[in-house]
Amino acid sequence: MATIFELLAIIIIIIATGFSIIGVIGFHRLPDVYSQLHATGKVGILGVVLLAIATAFVFPTEWGRVIILILLLLIGGPVAAHALASAAHRTGVPMQGAVRNDLDTQYRS
Amino acid sequence: MISTILNITIQAAFAIHALLIGYAIYRVWRGKDTIGRLLGVELVGTLTIAVLVLLALVQQNRLFIDVALGLGALGFISVIGFAKYTADQPQIAEHQFAEHQLIEQGGD
Repeated sequence: MATIFELLAIIIIIIATGFSIIGVIGFHRLPDVYSQLHATGKVGILGVVLLAIATAFVFPTEWGRVIILILLLLIGGPVAAHALASAAHRTGVPMQGAVRNDLDTQYRS
Repeated sequence: MISTILNITIQAAFAIHALLIGYAIYRVWRGKDTIGRLLGVELVGTLTIAVLVLLALVQQNRLFIDVALGLGALGFISVIGFAKYTADQPQIAEHQFAEHQLIEQGGD
């Protein structure tokens, strides 16, 4: 049984590392802040949450704290991303290659 | 056998996440504008949580999960605070952004 859990942990760690690499590649290559936020959200949600699940498979008595960590990440990540996007829009960071911007004149401070 | 493969996988993931933190710190150092640097700060915090979770696996020590919880809460509050500060005082970001535009026009 422990062998199955360790095999699951190996697979999940490889997937999570792949998502982290994809997120940082997107952070490097995407043109503006709004689309870079889309890429870095993947690191917080998929990368770290999957690593925490793999840790819980290796330490089976730690499910409680791991679930609290996952809930914190799932609630805090989108809120932080929304705050950053709102700050970027209110300080006037332009979009690159946008076809249409419905919020162009609203909510500027 | 399979725990050897697990150890190798954990250490490889540890090294890859450390390299990704190095790149995120470079983007904070040489960023395009203020919000881009702030995005790099958030990425450093998130990847540090990942490194702490992997450190709990490497050291076989469960205490690092608690450290990751505390760092997650603190990083979340700090990113919210810096984003609100930058949005409330737009002259900070605009100055940085105007300088960036000037450099681009001079390059052309």
